[in-house]
Amino acid sequence: MGDKTDIWQGTLALMVLKTLETMGPLHGYGIARRIEQTSGDRLAINYGTVYPALLKLEQEGYIASEWGVSDNNRKAKYYRLTRAGRNQVKKEARQWEETSAIIARFLAPGEEAS
Amino acid sequence: MRRFRAFFLRLAGWRGRARREQDLRDEFAAHLAMHIEDNVRAGMGEDEARRAALVKFGGMESAKESMRDGWTLVWLETAWQDVRYAARGLRRSPAFSATVIGSLALGLGASLAIFTVADNLLVRRLPYRDASQLEELWEAQIAGDADHNVVSPANYYDWKAQSGVFEDIAAWRARRSVLSDGDRSEVFGKYYVTDNFLPILGVRPVLGRLFTLQEDLEARNTETLVLISHKLWQGWFGGSPDVIGRRVQIDGQPHTILGVLPQDFYFRDRDVDLWEPMGLDPGYDYRGKEGRWLSCVGRMKPGVTHRQAQARMTALAARLERAYPVFNKGWTVRIEPLRDAMLGEAKTPLVVLVAAVAMLLAVACANVANLLLARYSSRRRELAVRVSLGAGRVRVVRQLLTESLLLALAGGGIGMLIAQWAVKGLALLAPEELTKSAAIHFDLRIVLFALGLSLATGILFGLAPALVGSRTRIMDGLRDGARSVSGWSGMRVRLVGGEVAAAIVLLVGALLLFRSLAGLQGIHPGLDASNVLAFRLTLPGGQYEKVSMRKQFFARALEQIGHLPGVVSVTFDSCVPFTGPCAGTWVRVQGRPPAKPGEEMLAAISSVPAGYFRAMRIPITEGREFSDADDSGAAPVRFIVNEAFVRRYLGEERPLAARISVLMNPANPFGEIVGVAGDVRDLSIEKAPEPEVYYVASQLSYTGVTFLVRTGGNPLAYVEPARRIIRGIDPLQPIAEVRTLDSILGENSARQRFCATLLAGFSTSALVLAAVGIYGVLAYSVAQRTRELGLRMALGAEPGRIVGLVVGTGARLVIGGAIVGLAGALALTGLLRSLLYGIGPRDPWTFVMAPAILLTAALVAAYIPARRAARLDPMEALRTE
Repeated sequence: MGDKTDIWQGTLALMVLKTLETMGPLHGYGIARRIEQTSGDRLAINYGTVYPALLKLEQEGYIASEWGVSDNNRKAKYYRLTRAGRNQVKKEARQWEETSAIIARFLAPGEEAS
Repeated sequence: MRRFRAFFLRLAGWRGRARREQDLRDEFAAHLAMHIEDNVRAGMGEDEARRAALVKFGGMESAKESMRDGWTLVWLETAWQDVRYAARGLRRSPAFSATVIGSLALGLGASLAIFTVADNLLVRRLPYRDASQLEELWEAQIAGDADHNVVSPANYYDWKAQSGVFEDIAAWRARRSVLSDGDRSEVFGKYYVTDNFLPILGVRPVLGRLFTLQEDLEARNTETLVLISHKLWQGWFGGSPDVIGRRVQIDGQPHTILGVLPQDFYFRDRDVDLWEPMGLDPGYDYRGKEGRWLSCVGRMKPGVTHRQAQARMTALAARLERAYPVFNKGWTVRIEPLRDAMLGEAKTPLVVLVAAVAMLLAVACANVANLLLARYSSRRRELAVRVSLGAGRVRVVRQLLTESLLLALAGGGIGMLIAQWAVKGLALLAPEELTKSAAIHFDLRIVLFALGLSLATGILFGLAPALVGSRTRIMDGLRDGARSVSGWSGMRVRLVGGEVAAAIVLLVGALLLFRSLAGLQGIHPGLDASNVLAFRLTLPGGQYEKVSMRKQFFARALEQIGHLPGVVSVTFDSCVPFTGPCAGTWVRVQGRPPAKPGEEMLAAISSVPAGYFRAMRIPITEGREFSDADDSGAAPVRFIVNEAFVRRYLGEERPLAARISVLMNPANPFGEIVGVAGDVRDLSIEKAPEPEVYYVASQLSYTGVTFLVRTGGNPLAYVEPARRIIRGIDPLQPIAEVRTLDSILGENSARQRFCATLLAGFSTSALVLAAVGIYGVLAYSVAQRTRELGLRMALGAEPGRIVGLVVGTGARLVIGGAIVGLAGALALTGLLRSLLYGIGPRDPWTFVMAPAILLTAALVAAYIPARRAARLDPMEALRTE
């Protein structure tokens, strides 16, 4: 169970970072919605799980938060990427691409010598 | 790196908890509100929108909980829980906690204080390069008493050239000198050193340079160069960098400052601030014309051990003895590691105190272990319940360990405060020889040591019972209620036995030292030391080269100080009484053939003015005291000798008829003995008086003398008037070493007093701790045996018998420990031998008193639970579980 959670945590963190990179500063609700939308609603997550991931990213210094006002004039906590966070997105994205490429080669119908 | 950042944020996470909670509530509320609004906009009803949003969010409380976990470190949180739980438990049994913390504070405090002193003297690195290769070298008589004798310059040169085991050997000589810059003058300690002295120690000047071999050789003609201490540089010269090349007067002679030595540098004596070239002459016939007066230090070649070097030097000395059969007859070499030499006689007290304090610490730890065991015995039920409710064994052990660590740290903390305060006291109480060669202070090392010691104590004495407790007995705890657990009781009995044994050893040591101290204080020093002010006056030899000038100076000083109101009498002595040998030489008796080698008559020499014996209240047993006529300079040389001299050298001969010659001056005519004086214990109060010859001052004139002013009241009130008088005679003439004769005498027994006081404190503490231990074990055993005792009483046992029963158990406990303790004391008191006076290390009185004192304490400790047992109500007792 632990390992699976870790992988999920790691992926969720990358999704959060990527979302913030694309969208600019955003509140937790917006981030959760955006992740679901981006996945084409193929990913159904409990919105509550986004917050521990945000906390961890903030403690690691990849994102920063401050209270702001939403479009509907509502007080909300906004998260934004830090410079370290920007670098981290690039690094993680590259790693993720590599990993998925490797996995893809394993899963592809095998013409290669194995 | 990122992980560390997160770690520290979480470590600090317990702060600002309330604000975070508020933040969290606000954030989640905003989230839900936004979601509901969106849902409503998408066409849902208000209630449905809310429900959908909540469902989509997932478990609100579990989300909050995982946020909270994220704020702090979980294990830290549990540890904190453990600590709070332990603290609560300890608060609930204040007597237990206070006893444990008190025991530890006492044991650790005393250990830390002694360790601080010992660390500074025994362990800390000496401020020299590779100090373990440094040795001091002495000449030693093969047959006689002199085993640490100063060295003849001729032998020094031969050792230096022929040793083969020493890289190099250097020499020094100490004296006191007056430094003056024209405005002020003061007395400082000075070393004459050979050019290689500082290089051998590996000392480099912080400013300027050291002198060269050439400059050293030239110094015998012109005394002109000097190195100064860092302290003098900062104090006198204000740390000015242009001090190099500055001209000053030392003993009236012009000198140039050549260099400044490093701040932490000292050699044997911290009160030395001037170093001058020695000016030895390699070509001079030292064996023919001079005696032994050098001190030597050498650096052994790499890889050479002390033992090898000693063997080679002994062989070399034997060769030199054959080569110089007159001068070196009966003399050999003794070498000693520099640290030992620097410690000198202070080493014994230190070793004794370290051993004693280790014993006290052991007693304290045994007491703590004992108390913890008792506590675990009575808590076994609680532990068993916790285990059966699902607490892991590790968790239980950790809980117990937390408790003992908490106790240890509290004890250690208080102990550290005690130690810090005690070290200051120790520095005041310590004999001069201890404090002279090292500064004693408290620093980070000691704090770390304290922390380590408390943690080790806590873990060791908390873990052992905790492990025993968790392994086998926990489940038994539920089964057999609270009845006795034989394994633990056995261990507790042994622990108390050990405490008793250690307390006996400490008691024996303390009693021996106190008896010695009492013996020392009962000795009459031979003169009346009450209300006498002593100060040293050293006239610069250059200005006061003429004997008549010194004589005039001293005479004016005597007269003017004598006229101060309240001064009873004033005199001076070339030697400071009770501070060891001053000068000594060979004496001949007229009409006897010259003594054979090894049978020379050796006597200590003092030079005193007329009226000295009356002023110092030394009885004249035969003949008369020196008169003004004797001191006029016109009279022929006349002597007064002490009774020891008469006993040792004159035998049946009538002293007043004998004429002696003292080899002190270039010409030594025979002179008559005009009087015999009572013995004064000049060397040291505990040493038997040696033969002594008194010159009258004008016949043997010194530039440095100690003035002795007997006053009607507090002698120290006369320091300033005396200083003013001396200044009035010569404005640049300082006085130094201002003390009272009583304090000099006190310094004589300082080692004994220091050790006796500390051992008394240690043994009293150990006694109290042992008594607490005895009380604890007996009280516990009474509680365990309540039913048995109740049965006995129900069957008609008298209360007296019950008391006897319990006290008897206690006595068995004590007697076993006492026997071991006495055996240990017999083995260990040999350590004290050099501190004892008038009694042996196996003094029978002491060996009877120590167990008697302990037994009394033990009986008191045993009586309290015994009385409680005797007052048991049999019916109540039988009803207990």
